[in-house]
Amino acid sequence: MIKKNYEFLEHTADIRIRVKAKDLKELFVNTALAMFDIMAEKSLKPRAYSSKLKKIKIIQKADGLEELLVNWLNELLSLSAVKELIFTDFKIKKLDENNLEAEIFGDEIKNYRINTEIKAATYHQLKLERIDSSWQAEVIFDV
Amino acid sequence: MSDIWQGPLEKIDEWRWRIPKSYKAGMRVDGIIYADEKLLKDIRADKAPEQVANVAFLPGIVKASLAMPDIHWGYGPSIGAVFATDINKDGIITPAGVGFDINCGVRLLKTNFQYEEIKDKIKDLIYVLFDMVPAGVGSKGEIRVSEREEREILVKGARWAVEKGYGIEEDLECTEEYGAMEGADPLAVSERAYERGKAQSGTLGSGNHFLEIQVIDQLYDQELCDEFGLTLGQITVMIHSGSRGFGYQICYDYTRSMIQSLSKYKISVPDRQLACAPFNSPEGKKYFSAMKCAANYAWNNRQCLMYLVRKSFEKVFGISWQKMGMYLIYDVAHNIAKVEKHTVDGKEMTLCVHRKGATRAFGPGHPALPKIYKDTGQPVIIPGDMGRNSYLLVGTQKAMEETFGSTCHGAGRVKSRTAATKSINIDELLRQLEAKGITIKATGRNTIVEEAPQAYKDVNDVVNVVHNAGISKRVCRMRPLGVIKG
Repeated sequence: MIKKNYEFLEHTADIRIRVKAKDLKELFVNTALAMFDIMAEKSLKPRAYSSKLKKIKIIQKADGLEELLVNWLNELLSLSAVKELIFTDFKIKKLDENNLEAEIFGDEIKNYRINTEIKAATYHQLKLERIDSSWQAEVIFDV
Repeated sequence: MSDIWQGPLEKIDEWRWRIPKSYKAGMRVDGIIYADEKLLKDIRADKAPEQVANVAFLPGIVKASLAMPDIHWGYGPSIGAVFATDINKDGIITPAGVGFDINCGVRLLKTNFQYEEIKDKIKDLIYVLFDMVPAGVGSKGEIRVSEREEREILVKGARWAVEKGYGIEEDLECTEEYGAMEGADPLAVSERAYERGKAQSGTLGSGNHFLEIQVIDQLYDQELCDEFGLTLGQITVMIHSGSRGFGYQICYDYTRSMIQSLSKYKISVPDRQLACAPFNSPEGKKYFSAMKCAANYAWNNRQCLMYLVRKSFEKVFGISWQKMGMYLIYDVAHNIAKVEKHTVDGKEMTLCVHRKGATRAFGPGHPALPKIYKDTGQPVIIPGDMGRNSYLLVGTQKAMEETFGSTCHGAGRVKSRTAATKSINIDELLRQLEAKGITIKATGRNTIVEEAPQAYKDVNDVVNVVHNAGISKRVCRMRPLGVIKG
């Protein structure tokens, strides 16, 4: 089993997680990985469908890093629903306070078992901070 | 537990607790929570009272920031929140006061069957329903629609389905807003929301959405039961669903844009998720029009689900649904914002009433009610968890006076999904439900565990409070026989 790069924090109705990373780009990637890990689990059945990953480009803008993180996660959720993909790989090309450019790679949703439908990432009690030389984020998902 | 909420909760009476506006600078009104001592313990252990206080910051809020006894920690306002803003005095509208699943709601239909007559058929019914009603995440409906029709649905709501033959005129009479809010503007909806909503009509959402075959196990008000044509042992069906991906996207799109407009309107909120705009601003109006589209979409969705339920019963019993008496009792929304007239401090005001995890509960005589419910008050449907009860209540005059004609919406969670998954054994749980005579079909084992009865407050306690506080009145109680979880 792959070691999880996130932990669950208590929240009555929704799902709240804490994610750590060594730099900001990795933090964005790890949070996205965590979100899809909560949502879906790879089917054990042999693949009935194409396993070729689909590549999509994403550009996001926001007023600050925290908002950018939520926007990034919601864009991924929305694309996942529309394109019927589970994203498994993320290459962040550019990331600053206000802009994000990335290439994301998705596998057909039919190859997965859906565990939890995540409606959205929320701004509620959102945290994104630098702790010494690493980064940490806390996000609440509405499920 | 270390993080029990330490703020002030002053006892008003046995059923109401006040968070005075002096609690935090910036609160414009008091917070009032409906609960008894027992429920209050769970509520304190949660952070929800802080969210009740936060809502009191919203510009234009009148009377109080209210919370129903099924209150639990949400994002922005708590789940179980009811609040109203004066739209003629810069009152705001906020997508967070509605929630992501816009017009998530429930409908209840009756049948002519008695439990004794069909108890051996419950399993068959559940399997046929599971087959005919597409359940689960991203599932695509039996009832497919074209793009042009989709836009029509957003304006017509449940009427679209009725015109297509998926129901009858009386179904609309028995639906809140007659199945559609006026003024829905499809142009206020983003392309992405359309894409996300595509092909989801007639499907159950995942998580706490469900379809349930029930039996009436207790009558509380004989006169009202007679009025509704309900008897002990009678079979009912409950459908719980919302606007799904379509609504989530609208909520997100507008939360994002309203965060931008906070500074434009010089609004300061203690939680970014409470992003809002004046109701009468271009941003506010546009959100309201888009929200109505999602609300109408959800009503149509529940109408289509009911059609599939009726067809499933026809398949199992070989007779028409009319002969089986499968008539709609009522359909209520529990995540919605409405413009309503209410009397506050003796003055009639036009308010934007937000109900997030709360149900409209208009009392007898209200002009918004159809003729058949003019004398009884509005039917209110309260789903419980899959192992306990559900209720039929009616709205009261006291609700009009105290809670903008609102009441609770369900049981409310006490245990997080994570905690439920950790502490509940699925096989044990299924055995317990089986022992109670409840058949369950779900798309995933996780859904069953996360939604296990232990994860919820006892709905009986919740209903006890709203009944005793007088903001609604018990009619009868149901218990589940068969459950389909999306």
